[in-house]
Amino acid sequence: MIQVLISGLFLGGVYALLAVGLSLAFGIMGVLNLAHGSLAVLGAILYKKSLVLYPFSPWTFCVLATPVFLAIGCLLHLFIAAPFRNLPPPAGVVASLIASLGIALILEDLFVWWQGWEPISTYITFPTVHLLGLKIPGMRAVLLGMTAVAISLCTLFMKKTDPGRSMRALAQDPETASLYGIRPGFTAMSAMGLATILAGLAGVFYSVLYPLSPREGLDLTLKALFIVVAGGMGNLRGPAVAGLVLGFVESFAGFLFTYTSTDIIVYSLLVSYLAFKRSGRRQ
Amino acid sequence: MRSWKTTFSLAILSALTLSAAAFSEGYVGIFIFSLIINGVMAVSYDIPGRSIDLISLGHAVFFGLGAYFFGIAVSMGFSFFPASILSVLLSTATAGMIVLLTAGLSHGYYSLATLGILIIFQRLFETLEGVTGGSAGIYIPEPISKFQCALLAALLLLATAGCHALFFRSRWGLYSKEAKADEDAAEAIGIPTRKLKVLCLMAGAIFPCMAGVLYLARNSHINPTSGFSLTLSITALLASRIVPIEGVLGPLSGVLLITAAEEFIWTKFDGFNHAWFGLILLGAAICQGIDFRNLKKRIH
Repeated sequence: MIQVLISGLFLGGVYALLAVGLSLAFGIMGVLNLAHGSLAVLGAILYKKSLVLYPFSPWTFCVLATPVFLAIGCLLHLFIAAPFRNLPPPAGVVASLIASLGIALILEDLFVWWQGWEPISTYITFPTVHLLGLKIPGMRAVLLGMTAVAISLCTLFMKKTDPGRSMRALAQDPETASLYGIRPGFTAMSAMGLATILAGLAGVFYSVLYPLSPREGLDLTLKALFIVVAGGMGNLRGPAVAGLVLGFVESFAGFLFTYTSTDIIVYSLLVSYLAFKRSGRRQ
Repeated sequence: MRSWKTTFSLAILSALTLSAAAFSEGYVGIFIFSLIINGVMAVSYDIPGRSIDLISLGHAVFFGLGAYFFGIAVSMGFSFFPASILSVLLSTATAGMIVLLTAGLSHGYYSLATLGILIIFQRLFETLEGVTGGSAGIYIPEPISKFQCALLAALLLLATAGCHALFFRSRWGLYSKEAKADEDAAEAIGIPTRKLKVLCLMAGAIFPCMAGVLYLARNSHINPTSGFSLTLSITALLASRIVPIEGVLGPLSGVLLITAAEEFIWTKFDGFNHAWFGLILLGAAICQGIDFRNLKKRIH
């Protein structure tokens, strides 16, 4: 049972990382990015392809790939957020939702074409740690640590740096932020870049822990969105906690029932939560 | 302005009905049948989609429910008409529960919830192997001829189009225009917005259930992937959005474009059908984002 709990902790960590990026994009730009999970799959594929060139460790790859993810995020911003900036709220959300769904579908087919149907797995052997009679896989522990570092760095960036403060100001009141000299377009683009970095890292970590299907992007997005809704849109601590909870739920459901039942339980939780929680409803 | 739209809509509907009567077998028969089924899905999608601007990613849930309930009823020994009536009643009741659960949600959350529901039903029908046949699905003997199926489907499309036209000309259609412009203001002037949403969503849910019944009656096979298909939901969404014309003509012309494109993509670019759909979606969204009036002013 404790082993299942530990497994849930590792899985929850990766989900939390994925959800924090999505929360950032929604909080600052109001974009429900349905391609967020596909960006995680892209991260996993890039890592797998890079392993053919050189046996990078996940942490070296993450540092090296950060500018690439940033550039991809900025490019993505031009398609799913920038064209809809001047639309009124419901129309803007709907248009960006459709555009991001389009991007997710394009990426899915490109991934299958590039990588084939086989699951993406970058499992690396690493010594197992024995602690109080429990077997803790070393790589998972390292990745959990890296996830914690990534989320903490992101929180620090948002709270202590000027670009982070600009992003928060833009999220609170775009018009007043513009009056204070904040460039909305550039700041939103940077936020999308940061969200993409987090998605990419989550994808790399996920593929080290579990095999990832090239068509799993929408599934990952849906889980991340669930975490964001449960943890609260636009903040970073809530999704991190909700991610851990989802990791535990999924691990326990997998332990007690079958894989298909796990999905039914997780998505039923999502729909019930949306239907009965006030945040999903029109205020 | 309204008359040319009505004329074109009637022309398309008549052409589809005549084609269904003339070609029910072979490749052309399959193509015409899929045009009609996609038409029912798109026109029914357009009722809540255009009136209250909600994007559903799980419209195929109703289609899958209708098909599966019909398949189960036929497997239990019911003949076509009792089985179809029973399955439409059961799927409409289930659709009612789904609608009541999701009607209160706002835009992004509604899309998210409908996608979640689609995945739940897909997995659920994969798991209930004893009743639904698991991932292999249900096979049934042909309950009626292909010609009868095609004619019934054409009649269903006419009924869906009629419901669409009636809805937008009724007081609920006027209410929906007001609610779409400003939901709070609409509520303040006494429009029952929740009731309006439930009505729109239910009107959009019943016809796909019937389409599911006819789909299974013609093809004799359904599985969770083809029944609760994201592609089918996206086809309906695309067909409803791609042609910016109000009324039945918008989704009807959208269906002609999308089904033809779908057929072309399947034959020429097998493996890239999702990507093409994605490109069309992206294009449609970006067109929505461009302020054409401002653009015109800038050009002048």
